[in-house]
Amino acid sequence: MQRTSESAPAGQPVPRPATRRNPALRSRTFRCMGTVISLALPDRGAPRTVPVLEGATAAVERVFTELDAMFSLYRPDSEASRLASGELTLRDASSAFRARFADATGWRLLTEGFFTPERPDGVLDLSGIIKGHAIGQAAAALEAAGVEDWCLNAGGDVLVGGSPVPGSGTPWLAGIVDPLDRASLLSAFPLGGGGRFEALATSGTSERGDHIWRAGAGRTEFRRTEFRQASVVAADIVTADVLATAIVAGGRAMVDWATDSWDVEVLAVLGNGELLATPGFNAARGA
Amino acid sequence: MRTRAAISAALASAGILLAGWQSGAHVAGTGSPVTAAASGSSSSSGSTGAGGAATTAGGGAAAQAAGTYTGTAVQTRFGAVQVQITVNAGTITDVTALRLTDEDRKSVQISNRAAPLLRAAVLKAQSADVQTISGATVTSDAYLTSLQAALDAANL
Amino acid sequence: MNSSSRLTMPATTRRTPVEGFRSQARSRLLRADLLTVLAWSSVSLAVALWLADGGASGFSTLAGSFTALGIVAGLAGMDLVLLMLLLAARIPLIDGAVGHDRALGFHRKLGKPSLYLLLAHGILLAIGYGMAEGLNPVAELVALWVQVPDMWLAIVSLGLFVAVVATSLVAVRRRLPYEFWYAVHLLTYAAVLTAIPHQFSAGGLFAEGTWQRWYWLAICIFTGAALVHYRVLEPLVATFRHQLSVSRVVPVAPGVVSIELAGRHVDELSGHGGRFFIWRFLSPGAWWHPHPFSLSAEPAWSDASGHGTLRITVRNLGRGSAQLSRLKVGTRVAIEGPYGLFSTAARTRSRVVMIGAGIGITPLRALLERTPFEPGQATVLLRGHSDADLYLGDEILALCRKRGATLYHLTGPRSAG
Repeated sequence: MQRTSESAPAGQPVPRPATRRNPALRSRTFRCMGTVISLALPDRGAPRTVPVLEGATAAVERVFTELDAMFSLYRPDSEASRLASGELTLRDASSAFRARFADATGWRLLTEGFFTPERPDGVLDLSGIIKGHAIGQAAAALEAAGVEDWCLNAGGDVLVGGSPVPGSGTPWLAGIVDPLDRASLLSAFPLGGGGRFEALATSGTSERGDHIWRAGAGRTEFRRTEFRQASVVAADIVTADVLATAIVAGGRAMVDWATDSWDVEVLAVLGNGELLATPGFNAARGA
Repeated sequence: MRTRAAISAALASAGILLAGWQSGAHVAGTGSPVTAAASGSSSSSGSTGAGGAATTAGGGAAAQAAGTYTGTAVQTRFGAVQVQITVNAGTITDVTALRLTDEDRKSVQISNRAAPLLRAAVLKAQSADVQTISGATVTSDAYLTSLQAALDAANL
Repeated sequence: MNSSSRLTMPATTRRTPVEGFRSQARSRLLRADLLTVLAWSSVSLAVALWLADGGASGFSTLAGSFTALGIVAGLAGMDLVLLMLLLAARIPLIDGAVGHDRALGFHRKLGKPSLYLLLAHGILLAIGYGMAEGLNPVAELVALWVQVPDMWLAIVSLGLFVAVVATSLVAVRRRLPYEFWYAVHLLTYAAVLTAIPHQFSAGGLFAEGTWQRWYWLAICIFTGAALVHYRVLEPLVATFRHQLSVSRVVPVAPGVVSIELAGRHVDELSGHGGRFFIWRFLSPGAWWHPHPFSLSAEPAWSDASGHGTLRITVRNLGRGSAQLSRLKVGTRVAIEGPYGLFSTAARTRSRVVMIGAGIGITPLRALLERTPFEPGQATVLLRGHSDADLYLGDEILALCRKRGATLYHLTGPRSAG
């Protein structure tokens, strides 16, 4: 396992006393799929927590590594790369591969093309759906191993189980990065703890989106990106992830489509930094 | 003659730049949260004070006057929206949508629709209060300087 | 020699009244000034496009500031590149206002600034975008190349611009052959063409439906059309219209020949004494070499359809010119022009002094035939190493006598220092 969190920026929180508001956690990280995945469990003391955490992290890492080996376009020997190069046809692809392809094309229909498993150059790219799928599979592995309270964060996409304070029903609180200032948080949303939302995914164009148009996914025309970042809270991580991606590509029309069609909360940051949010994010109305 | 060309060129350039800057300031003004409710409609809603102050809602130093300002009603795809802002000591303290009716028959559906919201009005959190952080996918390298990395480091 | 040209020469016509030279000069300088203002305004307009789009708000963050400066540099750089192309397009309006040589002088002066702006554009944007995404500028460039459509073309274009300017500088310094420099310059067109797609597909400023997009498209198309029209179509039309071919090659002095060309509609080429044409002698191995030479005599024609002859006088200067003395009679000749401001159009008053040295004497011969002046108002100064170097001196003397101009000639070696 590779530790990647040695260098925390100065001025960031350091170990702090466990309170109900600020529960003690233990976490492990590893690199996969070009990003960093971290798993956090409530800390019940090192002797009780560390072995569970190490085992759980290994299980999660196994899920991610296997999926990456199959779907990464950065690995020349992956099934995805061989398909992209024409060495392999979809007909001969493994059933797991075809299942993800079916998921992705299904989402393309549901999002009116704003989520698409194809890159602008036409290469089949399932990475938009694989990270979410991997998070979901890892969650299943954790549940199967009997871990009830956990928080999994893969490159900014979050799925939780249970509570940070075991047995209390307290939700996990997930922050959302401010795209205008990555060192601060824009908002937060409670996940898990018995509520109906356990997943939060954020998609963005970052600074570049301000000046660069992206192909409206699945559309022939080019459109200017309206949104710099979109966060979607949902019951499952694939829905959250796909809708966040689709909203960044599809703009306001897609936000309305998403909130009309799914049980989700959305917080979007427009190109000029202003916000568009569903009531769940409104502090005045409460979550 | 050369001087004439130089002076004319300088004046023309300055004029063009000024005109560009002016219309650019106008673009920034119409992008305020108040008019964002109008889904890009260029008809100005709210007073100019609302537009000016809203762009600096965080710092809130633009409008000096205190009080409550009501914008004009604008037609949006959700229906007519009228926005009221409360300014206190140059800071917007409250933004209320005064009227949010729906002209078509989807008024039930829009209950969960996303609407413009001031930064001050979203659920707030400090990074010390959250257990995990969501953001646009970061690369492994960018992770090192991210807030999530700080959280993970604290929980080792 | 060549008395036929004088026999058929029309009586001196004064298309520009002598007293009109002052207003001619004023209007020419006004046109030059207006063009200058227009050129600078186009640069500030390019920046204003961005300001009007609310671009200045980018300066609120450090990364945004880099990005904003990068975008401004790119807009100004592209505008300068278009100006350079227009200056080199041989547009009659520019040529007539400032002259071909000064237009090319401005063209050369803009070379380095536009390159620096385009380099700054690439570097600042790589830094700005990179900072915003937590990537170093090199990684950001790679990401832009891979992820953003047309961006790889833009990066290739930047490389081409660097290559063009660098080789131009080296070519001037090392005196590389003209052919080499010319070939490299053709790369400029590739560089400009590869730079254009990303401006419209990746730049939010020129998004569909914006007026900025129409303006930018218009100036790009205008520049391209001017180049195609004045540098390709007009020369082709002139070449087909005049059907010129070499009719005689007459030695004038050691290493100096007069080339007589016969063709049609040569009457249309009269009145351009002093201005130069670009000639291409369409023989194997020489056809692509452009020669800028002035006429050394007014065209002479013998019938209403303008069948007649032109004459240029040439000295063996470079390799290309050396070939000219071996030209075969009957060789077809392509013609472009006339260009340049060494003509009546440059005059500011009724009195006139014409100065020529070496082979540069020969255009005076043609200018002297037609430029309007009263007897006693013109002075002609000729300079050469020896009397033999006062090419066509006898013809000029005859013309001066006929038109009442005073002729001086200076011969001998250059004074030291």
